[in-house]
Amino acid sequence: MRYAVYNSPINPLINLRIPGMLTPLFSRFFISVLFVLLFVVSGNAQNWAGAEGLLAGKIVAASGPKTMVLEVLNHSSLSAAVTDDIRRNLLTQLAVLGVRFVAPEQAAANVRVSLSEDMQSYVWVAEIRQGSNAPSVVMVSLPRSAVLTVEPAASAMVLRGVSLWSQPERILDVTVIDDNPARMLVLDANGVTSYRMQDNRWLLEQSVPVAHSRPWPRDLRGRLVLRRDKDHLFDAYLPGVYCRGLTGPPPAMTCFESSDPWPIGTDLFSLNASFTSSRNFFSGVLSPGVGNQTTAPPFYSAAAVPREHSTWWLLAAVDEKVHLLDGVTDQVAEKLGWGSDIASLRSGCGSGWQVLATGAGAGRSDAVQAFEVAGREPIAVSTPFEVSGAVTALWTESGANGVVAVVHNSETGGYEAFRLTLTCGR
Amino acid sequence: MSFRRKLLLVFALTVFLCVGAVSWIVSTVTRRAFERASEDQTTALIAQFRREFSRRGEEVAHRVETIAGSETATRMALAVSRGSTDYSAYVNEAKALADNQQLDFLEFVDSSGTILSSAQWPAKFGYKEGSLPAGASPGGAFLRQEDLPDGAALSLSAIRQVEIGEKPIYVIGGRRLDQEFMASLELPAGMRAMLYRNLAKGFSAPLLVGPSGNAQQLAPLIEQVQQHQQEATALLHWSGDAADDESVHAIPLNGLDNQLLGILLVGNTRRPYVELRNRIRSAAMLAGSVGIVLAILFSGWASSRVTRPVEQLAEAAREVAAGNWNTRVPVDSSDELGALAESFNRMTEELLQQRERLVQAERVAAWRELARRLAHELKNPLFPLQLTVENLVRARQQSPEQFDEIFPESSATLLAEIANLKTIISRFSEFSRMPQPQFQRVQVNEVVQNVARLLQAQLQSPKHSPIECRLELAEDLASIAADPELLHRAFSNLALNAMDAMPQGGTLSLRTRQSSDRVVVEIADTGAGLTAEECERLFTPYYTSKAHGTGLGLAIVQSIISDHGGRIGVHSEPGRGTAFMIELPDNLDKLAAAG
Amino acid sequence: MRPSALLLLAAVSLCLAVAAPARTRPHYGGNLRLAIGEAPISVDPADVSPAGKSMPPSLSRLIFDTLVTLDARGQAQPALSPSWQVDPGNQRWLFSIRRGVAFHDGTGVSSDAVAASLRAANPNWKVFATGEAVIVECDAPTPDLPAVLALARYGIAKRTGGKVVGSGPFAINRWDAGKKLVLTARDDYWGGRAFVDSIEIEMGKSFREQTIALDLAKADIVQIAPDQTRHAVLEGRRVLSSAPTEWMALVFSRDVPSAQDGKLREALGLSIDRDAMNNVLLQGGGEPAGTFLPNWMTGYAFLFPTAVDLQRARQARNAVQQAPVWTLACDGSDPLARVITERIALNARDAGLTLQTTTSAVADIRLVRMPLPSLDAWVALGEFAGSLGLPQPKFDVDRLQQSANASTEYAAESALLQSQRVIPLLHLRTAVALSANVMGWQEDPDGSWHLQNVWLETGKP
Repeated sequence: MRYAVYNSPINPLINLRIPGMLTPLFSRFFISVLFVLLFVVSGNAQNWAGAEGLLAGKIVAASGPKTMVLEVLNHSSLSAAVTDDIRRNLLTQLAVLGVRFVAPEQAAANVRVSLSEDMQSYVWVAEIRQGSNAPSVVMVSLPRSAVLTVEPAASAMVLRGVSLWSQPERILDVTVIDDNPARMLVLDANGVTSYRMQDNRWLLEQSVPVAHSRPWPRDLRGRLVLRRDKDHLFDAYLPGVYCRGLTGPPPAMTCFESSDPWPIGTDLFSLNASFTSSRNFFSGVLSPGVGNQTTAPPFYSAAAVPREHSTWWLLAAVDEKVHLLDGVTDQVAEKLGWGSDIASLRSGCGSGWQVLATGAGAGRSDAVQAFEVAGREPIAVSTPFEVSGAVTALWTESGANGVVAVVHNSETGGYEAFRLTLTCGR
Repeated sequence: MSFRRKLLLVFALTVFLCVGAVSWIVSTVTRRAFERASEDQTTALIAQFRREFSRRGEEVAHRVETIAGSETATRMALAVSRGSTDYSAYVNEAKALADNQQLDFLEFVDSSGTILSSAQWPAKFGYKEGSLPAGASPGGAFLRQEDLPDGAALSLSAIRQVEIGEKPIYVIGGRRLDQEFMASLELPAGMRAMLYRNLAKGFSAPLLVGPSGNAQQLAPLIEQVQQHQQEATALLHWSGDAADDESVHAIPLNGLDNQLLGILLVGNTRRPYVELRNRIRSAAMLAGSVGIVLAILFSGWASSRVTRPVEQLAEAAREVAAGNWNTRVPVDSSDELGALAESFNRMTEELLQQRERLVQAERVAAWRELARRLAHELKNPLFPLQLTVENLVRARQQSPEQFDEIFPESSATLLAEIANLKTIISRFSEFSRMPQPQFQRVQVNEVVQNVARLLQAQLQSPKHSPIECRLELAEDLASIAADPELLHRAFSNLALNAMDAMPQGGTLSLRTRQSSDRVVVEIADTGAGLTAEECERLFTPYYTSKAHGTGLGLAIVQSIISDHGGRIGVHSEPGRGTAFMIELPDNLDKLAAAG
Repeated sequence: MRPSALLLLAAVSLCLAVAAPARTRPHYGGNLRLAIGEAPISVDPADVSPAGKSMPPSLSRLIFDTLVTLDARGQAQPALSPSWQVDPGNQRWLFSIRRGVAFHDGTGVSSDAVAASLRAANPNWKVFATGEAVIVECDAPTPDLPAVLALARYGIAKRTGGKVVGSGPFAINRWDAGKKLVLTARDDYWGGRAFVDSIEIEMGKSFREQTIALDLAKADIVQIAPDQTRHAVLEGRRVLSSAPTEWMALVFSRDVPSAQDGKLREALGLSIDRDAMNNVLLQGGGEPAGTFLPNWMTGYAFLFPTAVDLQRARQARNAVQQAPVWTLACDGSDPLARVITERIALNARDAGLTLQTTTSAVADIRLVRMPLPSLDAWVALGEFAGSLGLPQPKFDVDRLQQSANASTEYAAESALLQSQRVIPLLHLRTAVALSANVMGWQEDPDGSWHLQNVWLETGKP
């Protein structure tokens, strides 16, 4: 049977397990640091050796072990450095097969290798010209995987992102459970999948489907809320569906149709809002409400702005305006340039709390930026954290120390989950 | 031909000739006037064409000038002067500018003749423009042949240079010379203008712009201009109807290098002239017809004024000729005709008097003749009577015995002579008591055959030499109304006379024939013939050429013939014989009257 | 060779400044208005009408689901069929049918209905329903059947009484053949309700009419002619171009009758200056092509030369004593096609060949434009061959091995090109202009649209 293709295994260097002395806070920090240290720019995830050998073999099979001149041209997205590596390795492989490289006027065969690519693969094409005969053509194909480029920001507060998970299907939310071993819950349209860290790799533990009678709306949204309350491990919220996750192993889950409001706050600042089950936004009905305000305009996301004596809430409304609810009034900010997704983050930097917001534009890339609400106006406090695609989810973690961002990679078409944190200065 | 008809003919001919002459003169004058007007119109149209051509040319030059001064042209020139060969930046510029300036053709060409942008052939960028004028660019507009993907076209173009940097570019723009251009010319009624685009060798009908009908007819004229490159004129017959003829004037139009690029054809229909000519002819025909009618009417009137008196005179003369000398002609005018009528009347009166006198004289003469003849006729028998009686007396007196001897002879002689006298008297009595004819349908051939039959015995009598009787009777002789008895008598008399005229024998010919509505009977002999004088006196009663006879036979014959309304004539040649011709009318009306 | 198509898409599209990237969440609601040039005469996906008269696949897929779809990388993904399996030999396939899916008239999409639909679409297959699956038996090994079933003409339709209904995200609200199509979003669509409430499509509009409609705010999405893309961008319009997908080529009406004719065809191919055509006439709206499939799809298209070689062209021409005058026909209503044929005639003239351009239906050579039929290279080659009357490429079972993919496709495409029935010219980009309120635009590399994911910024929830 032919199945849908999933992404290739995650690089085992991404996750490390340090047992024993790790406190939850330290472990989270350590993992984050490791993520930052180990996730460098433009990692090369391909292994070319097999392809080089195969191509060299085909060239020799077509021309025979002879004297030849080799030219390598790059018509693909490979970098110059990679191209040079491939060229060197090809020369080596051909030499192993008995080929001698000479000056062009002495060569019996003139070989031009073009590094090309199609939609799914790299295609390396070798044209072998011998004398005045028509050139013979051999080629090899090898799968092509996406390469992420993450660049650090440089400003007083630095938003850093650590990759948590990636998969072709849409990720709705991700939660890392700092247990021993660490676990990760991934919520998507099919259900909740739990992974267990083992040998520096996330291994599938169990996948629990979500039963739903009605089709999911487009721009599906969902939220995972870690409970860790006796047997109650997590709650999963999906449009018109509520799932209660039980402690495992493996974790179990029961789902039922529900119109219960979703928690949009944190452990520290609780607020629930009703989600329109056939749409992608909250209806505006709040519980318990913000002060006297129990209704608000329909909104996509919300962020808490703790104040000295109260908590204000910023709502990224459906009307593309940002509403500030202070419990009494509803102030509207129209030209903030924010997108639909906002989330609170406790950083300990600046005022201690920041609001992360996506930008309001249209494009194939997105960015998240941190803001502080001084007075009633948000002020950017970090440079934008750019991602290679649109942010489809932005949820504050339970402890509000991080924000999970899900990005739809415009290049690969897959979804990637990051954990965003804010560090204070350089 | 009667005088009336002659008069009518003269009047009609006069009218016809006058009308014909006038219409010919008018036609000739009209034709000349038309040709002059046509020439003038053609000249005016050509002048108009040249003016319009010039005006359009100025307009084109102005638009090209505007384009050459535009920012696009400047930008293009700058790019070319920097050595740029990227045509993509301005491949569509020419089309946009051409549309903006309402030009049909626009090209930007660099100094080497390479097309940078072409409105009419966008795909031709990078190719050489073959017809770039050598030397200095002309200031005004000129005719140009434009190469297009689907053939060639004729344009009125202008060229300007954009001199920026060391290498100028050329802006060549123009407007198509096509139907729209030709339609802009104001043409008088009956005129049309066509433009032949000389874009290929020989003649090709599709290259003609404008209404052309059967364009092939223009081929000889166009080929003539192509050969000699001079103006030419031809009269074209588009159909069998002369009204469709057209006078076409061809004017060559040259391009910059004097190459013949176009031919302007100005056509002037001859329809008005032909129609006018036809109208003149129709008017002439109408006038002639009216004239003839008038001539008829006038002649009728004239005749009533002129010919009637003449006819009356003629009728009167006929009456007089027919014997009615008592005819009078009315005198209605005092002119010549009146005088003529008076004269005629006097003449007839005179004639009447003379006839009376003549009749009287003839009557006297006839009486004298009759008395003479009677005296002669009577004298003859009377003399022997006298002698015989004298002999008898003498004999009685002298010799009674001789009296008895001569008494029988003498009494015989007396009886014979008395019989003779009785015969003569009976003949005269008979002549005086000729009966009126009793008309009935008679077949003349039968009467003649009866006469011949009756005369057979006499013809073969040994008393004279044999006489052959020859019958030549017409087979299709019509029946006539006549008295057969009288006819028989008349024919018999003539036949007997003919026999008497051939004592030596001969041939008696009896012939009948049909002559129109008359039957002609001819009785001829081959005797000694008669002289002319004898012929004249032949029908005088008592005239005889015979030694014996009363001379009444022919008179009776004449009387009978006259009673039948016929005519008798004689033709004779001395020594050859005599022929009597009797013409008898059919008298069928008398038959109807007779019941 | 340029970078991958997807990167190129990003380069050509309007890019956002680095300082302020990002997007808002999709809004539900609103009426999306399109103006397109095609004027289809039937909505039935199985109706194969002439080019320009058939329903564009992007629109057909809004109404009719297929069992399988191809993702942006050309890989088969479940659609109406969540899973499938094939027997050894690749001739007998079993496709399960997704549960709970209904046609627009409310009746369920059963295996019987699916089987009936597939039989109507391809009478050569033996298709029969079994339980909640359908079995398709092909008369020859068809390892790429899932990719074949992803073609729009295999959209699952229920045909009753002359009417045809689908199960797609949109139902037909109004259909004026060749003029107007109005679709209404289905709330109960199994893949999630579309963002917009309805889609209104004006058909049979020229590029100029479409641009005017966009400027007058009467349309939200319009097509842009490949040669007008740059101009549209310079005019400030929001233009998104696909990778080079639309195939433009010269197609001979008959096979090569003689070696001499083959020489002349070779001369013609060598005389055509594709670079000039692409750079100038198309304003860079495509790329020169020497193959059926673009390089971003196969990776080996660069092996087929596209550069003009007048010297060799003249040599080939001079090898033949008498060259006939060929007629070259194009679609008279396509101004781009007309100017391209004129350019080809000029190029041919340089090589000593005479081409007479015409818009008649009968000609020796025709300039054709064909959209890329599928993101699966083998299926696309098969569709090209079928449309042009060429022999179907022979399938090699080794194709299943990843390493032989490009090689077998290269061999098959080379064989098709050796017939000298076609002279590929260009691969054109398809471009659309969007109004400022159109969001979520997605386009596969082959230019396929996903209008069910488009949303309007002004839409009310």
